[in-house]
Amino acid sequence: MSHEIFMPALSSTMTEGKIVEWLKNPGDKVERGESVLVVESDKADMDVESFQDGYLAAVLMPAGSTAPVGETIGLIVENEDEIAPIQEQNKGKHTEGSSSDQLELPNKNSEIKEEKQKEVPQIKEQVVEVRKEKVLTLSKEIQLNASTSNNSSRVIASPKAKKLASTMGVDLAKVHGSGPHGRIQADDVLKANGQPVSIPWIGEGSSSASIATSSAHVQAESKSETLGNSFGKPGETVQFNTLQKAVNKNMESSLNVPCFRVGYSIDTDKLDNFYKKVKQNGVTMTALLVKAVAKTLKKHPQVNSSFSENGISYPENINIAVAVAMEDGGLITPVLKEPCNTDLFELSREWKDLVKRSRAKQLEPDEYSTGTFTLSNLGMFGVDRFDAILPPGTGAILAIASSKPTVVANNDGSISVKKIMQVNLTADHRVIYGADGASFLKDLSSLIENEPETLVS
Amino acid sequence: MINRTSIIKQPDKISFFNDVYKLQKRYQDALISGKSNTSFIWLGEHQLCYTFGRGSNMSNLLFSLDEQDIFKIDRGGEVTCHMPGQLVTYLILDLNNFNKDLNWYLRKIEKIIIKVLGSFNINCSTKKGFTGVWIGERKIASIGIGCKRWVTIHGFSINVDCKLENFDRIVPCGIEGCKMANMSDYAKNLDIKEVKKIVKKFIQEDFNFNYVSE
Repeated sequence: MSHEIFMPALSSTMTEGKIVEWLKNPGDKVERGESVLVVESDKADMDVESFQDGYLAAVLMPAGSTAPVGETIGLIVENEDEIAPIQEQNKGKHTEGSSSDQLELPNKNSEIKEEKQKEVPQIKEQVVEVRKEKVLTLSKEIQLNASTSNNSSRVIASPKAKKLASTMGVDLAKVHGSGPHGRIQADDVLKANGQPVSIPWIGEGSSSASIATSSAHVQAESKSETLGNSFGKPGETVQFNTLQKAVNKNMESSLNVPCFRVGYSIDTDKLDNFYKKVKQNGVTMTALLVKAVAKTLKKHPQVNSSFSENGISYPENINIAVAVAMEDGGLITPVLKEPCNTDLFELSREWKDLVKRSRAKQLEPDEYSTGTFTLSNLGMFGVDRFDAILPPGTGAILAIASSKPTVVANNDGSISVKKIMQVNLTADHRVIYGADGASFLKDLSSLIENEPETLVS
Repeated sequence: MINRTSIIKQPDKISFFNDVYKLQKRYQDALISGKSNTSFIWLGEHQLCYTFGRGSNMSNLLFSLDEQDIFKIDRGGEVTCHMPGQLVTYLILDLNNFNKDLNWYLRKIEKIIIKVLGSFNINCSTKKGFTGVWIGERKIASIGIGCKRWVTIHGFSINVDCKLENFDRIVPCGIEGCKMANMSDYAKNLDIKEVKKIVKKFIQEDFNFNYVSE
């Protein structure tokens, strides 16, 4: 049984790390907890240790090289007699590319490869791809050793999935990949291991999951295992739970508010590209959208205002509430406070923490009741548009639909395919007028379409 | 319950680098193995010595290696130099109790240093891509961290009033042409004991520590 050593994430903003030094040589005995190598990021060094007793069988990335976070950089085996076969396989790889430069190349190209660029690759790139494939099959074969199955086809899996599989002892060759081109995602591994899969309720917007190709779509549709939500059996009447009752009250109170709706179509190509880059640093689509909305609200205080008996009330802060459906019914709106003052990475962390604690029902009142503007995202279900009901005490809510490839007529008369996301603002007309809502959406759209990279801070 | 207790040690005499290094290691190992859950903070001064990070480029040392008082240690960053008049602070703490993010940790230390200098009315700043604290183009404080299972070792040094010529023998932090600065160039009647006190205070505030002596 072999275990992979991964390039660790030393910080949320780190995309790749430099291997400073291997403290062990291939063939060396390692104890659990013993440092095997040193990885550096900026002025900080981190010892990477072995998680089991065994032997360092292979060093896949030499000292001095750089590897993306999550990449397999070394292999540890439990028994001494397993070293030889792995080193044997490793030798082949080393004769093909032994200098650190050459070893680095495949990773730089991995992104290109995953996107399956249709352009004719240069010969050099082809060679590199072949090498990368060798490396991949190598590590796969090693994993297959553990099982009886001897599937010779390549297994493509995300780094997270690989990690999960190795910690859970799941054989990746037997896992059905639901990602693009059958890539195995972390959820697939969880599913294969019989563990509950994190439900996709939360606005982890595949509103721009960017890589959801049509083939993946068909796969998802053909699988009938995802049943709709139901709290009772046919013929039953089930009492509302407390949360459902609270939601009902809020929804009914909206009937006394003269609301109007205004919509916009936003091109998310740039946003998707940016998201692809920062996703590996733990940035969530929700955090990106919240940031964009908060930044635009700063310029449009009217859309952040609300009705009160004394007049138009302008809150001191911009706090964005995001609707999260609860598994057992009802919904909750955790609040990201002052997103303008928090950087994107911190915001993403905060959001993950809020979602986690929402599910565990551990939110403090001020963490779900202090929103000044609400987001509702159903993009992950592929909806093309919807409108949301205004929560009481606020002036507006934005409904975000899925981002879909759409044929677009450009201003110059040309036609192109762009990813278009429809958003729909519901607002209280007593405080927010049509022109306010429209100019807010215009600026939001311009921010998302033209300068998504400014959402970092 | 997170333990925010920290043992603090702040000798007034000059300490030998290697003794303190061993001491740091001992506290780091105790935290890693779970034998202890108290952090450890050390503030003091070293005799003249040069230290390297593990990834250091030896060409940044502008003299031959046969001299004593050169240490290769488990921290990030390039070569640096310690000496009397420079306040060195080491923090052995478990980032599992704070934020498992070394970038966060480095930035936090920079903020602490800026606050310390600020309380002596010295304006300084960080420089993107060049960890440490700067006054214009001159570097006044250096940072180098090591970490094992999210337990940190080493820390930062502030030039209070030291012989900056000692830096001429190296390329500090591997930055060619890097000029160093002393706090005493910008503030009058400085006492390193005062600086120590302020560093202690801000570390306590920023990490929410409860100090105890050994």
